[in-house]
Amino acid sequence: MAEIEVELKTAPADFRFPTTNQTRHCFTRYIEFHRCLAAKGEESGACAKFAKYYRSICPGDWVERWNEQRATGTFPGPL
Amino acid sequence: MIVLEWLFLTIAPCDAAEPWQLGSQDAATPMMQGITDLHHDIFFFLILILVFVSRILVRALWHFHYPKNPIPQRIVHGTTIEILRTIFPSIIPMFIAIPSFALLYSMDEVVVDPAITIKAIGHQWYRTYEYSDYNSSDEQSLTFDSYTIPEDDLEFGQSRLLEVDNRVVVPAKTHLRIIVTPADVPHSWAVPSSGVKCDAVPGRLNQISISVQREGVYYGQCSEICGTNHAFTRAPGNIGRLLSPLWLSRTTREASYYSERLEL
Amino acid sequence: MIESQRHSYHLVDPSPWPISGSLGALATTVGGVMYMHPFQGGATLLSLGLIFILYTMFVWWRDVLRESTLEGHHTKVVQLGLRYGFILFIVSEVMFLFAFFWASSHSSLAPAVEIGGIWPPKGIWVLDPWEIPFLNTPILLSSGAAVTWAHHAILAGKEKRAVYALVATVSLALVFTGFQGMEYYQAPFTISDSIYGSTFFLATGFHGFHVIIGTLFLIICGIRQYLGHLTKEHHVGFEAAAWYWHFVDVVRLFLFVSIYWWGGI
Repeated sequence: MAEIEVELKTAPADFRFPTTNQTRHCFTRYIEFHRCLAAKGEESGACAKFAKYYRSICPGDWVERWNEQRATGTFPGPL
Repeated sequence: MIVLEWLFLTIAPCDAAEPWQLGSQDAATPMMQGITDLHHDIFFFLILILVFVSRILVRALWHFHYPKNPIPQRIVHGTTIEILRTIFPSIIPMFIAIPSFALLYSMDEVVVDPAITIKAIGHQWYRTYEYSDYNSSDEQSLTFDSYTIPEDDLEFGQSRLLEVDNRVVVPAKTHLRIIVTPADVPHSWAVPSSGVKCDAVPGRLNQISISVQREGVYYGQCSEICGTNHAFTRAPGNIGRLLSPLWLSRTTREASYYSERLEL
Repeated sequence: MIESQRHSYHLVDPSPWPISGSLGALATTVGGVMYMHPFQGGATLLSLGLIFILYTMFVWWRDVLRESTLEGHHTKVVQLGLRYGFILFIVSEVMFLFAFFWASSHSSLAPAVEIGGIWPPKGIWVLDPWEIPFLNTPILLSSGAAVTWAHHAILAGKEKRAVYALVATVSLALVFTGFQGMEYYQAPFTISDSIYGSTFFLATGFHGFHVIIGTLFLIICGIRQYLGHLTKEHHVGFEAAAWYWHFVDVVRLFLFVSIYWWGGI
C-alpha cells in the first residue's frame, strides 16, 4: 500500500450552535462567507475558511438553491 | 488484542441483526457501550424488584389462601410499612434516572472538534452521502448514492435487506460528525452498533457525533416510516457502513486483510 | 309550563335544531371538500350548508330567547349553568387564539433559514403600528368601556340609557371593523406572503371575526334591551355578550403588542 498523507480537517464545533440542530450553523457560515467576500473581496483569501465550513456542513442541494437565489436576487438572508 | 485473540481464538463482534437475537448488537462506539452498560445497570434493579415482588406475591397467595386463612385480618394501616414502601420505591427510580440523564445529555454533547463531516441525506428510498471537507468550489463534491441490494441480487453470505451497493467508508478511532437530513419525507439514520438513531427532518440538519473504536462493517436501517419501501423490497434507506482502516488510518495491522475480503 | 314541576331545572322540549345543525355541518364539510377538489356543485353545496347552519343558529337562539323571556324557564340555577357554560366557551376561545399567538411567536422569535433567519422576512413591508393599529386599539377599548356603561345602566334600571350605551358600543365596534377592513385593503402583503403574512392574517383575521360575532351579539342585546327583555335582575345574555367583548378587547391588546408592534420591528 502506498503511503498517502491526508490531513483530516472539517468545520470546527461552533459554540453558537451547541445543540443537535445545526441548520443555522450551515446557514450562518454561508452568510458569513458572502459577507466576508463583500467586505474584503475575493483576492484577500481571508474568506476561504468560511467557504470550507459551509461546504462541510450544508447539503449540496441547499448551497445550490441558495446560489441560485442569490443570482436571481431572491435570497432571503441578510447578506 | 493479540492476547485476546490468543485467548478466544477469534473475535466476531455482532454488528448486524441476527436470528433470535435477544440483546443489543456489540458496541462499536463509547456511546453504545454506555447504552449497553446502562441497560445492564437498570436490569440489575429490575431483577431485584422482580424477585422481591414475586416473593411477596407468592407468600401472600400461599399464606392468605382461604383454606389456610379463613378469617381475614382486620389491619387497616401500619405507618412504618407505609412510609417504607413509599420512600424506598421512589429512591430506585432516582438510581435509574441519574445515569440515564447523564448518558442522554452526553449523547448530544459535541466535546471536541470533529475530524470529518459526513452528510447522510435520506431519499425515498436510498441514501446519498456527501463528503465535502475538501471541496474547493460549490459544484465539486464527493457524493454517492447507497441503495439496498435487492433480495434477488444478494450474493452468498450477504444479509437480506441490510447489504447496500455503496458503503460509507470512514476512519476508525476518529471523531466523526454526521449531518442527517432528508431530501423528501422524514427518514431516520440508525446504526445500532454505533448507538445512533437520528431522525432526518425536512429543512433541518441534525448533527450526531460518533467515534468508532474498532474496524468492521456495521449495518443499520431507516427508522422512521418513510413510505412504501420503508421496510421491504428495495432500499429502505438502508445503511451499510464500513468502518475500516483503509481510508486514511493506518492504526491496524488487518488493513490488507479487510480490503481483500471486502473487495474494495 | 308544567304545574307539577318540583325542581328548578329546565328540561328542554324536543327540538329539530340539533339535527338540522348537524346536517348543515355535514353539507358544509362535504361541499367544502368538493369545492376544493374538481367536483361539480361543490360551491352550491357549501353555500347551502352555510346557510343551513346560519338559519339553525338563528332559530335555535330565537327558541332560547322564547324559553327564557316568554316561558320563564331560566331560573336562578339555569342562569348559573348558562354562565358556567359561557365562561368555559370563552376559555376555549382563549386557547384557540393562543395557538395563533404561539405560531406567530414560534416563527418570529427564531426565524427559520427558509426566510433567511430574519423577521419580518425580506420583502415584507410591515404596517406601521403607530397608524391604524394604534388608532384602532383605543377605539375597541372605548367600546369595552361603553359596554360597561350599558351594564351599569341596566343594573340601575335606566333602560333608555342602556340602549344609548349599547348603540355607542356597537357604533365603535363598527368603526373598528371599518378601519380594520381599510387596513387589510391597504396592506402591501397578503396571506400567501410567507409565514409573516400567514400568521398576521390568521391572528388578526380571527380576531376581526370574533369582533364581528361580538358585534352581532351586542346588536341582539341592544334590540332586546329596547324591547324590554332585559331586567335589573335577569340579563344573562347581556352579561355573556359583555364578557365576550372584554375577551375580544384583551386579545386586541396582545395583538397590538406582539404582532403589530414587536412583530414589525
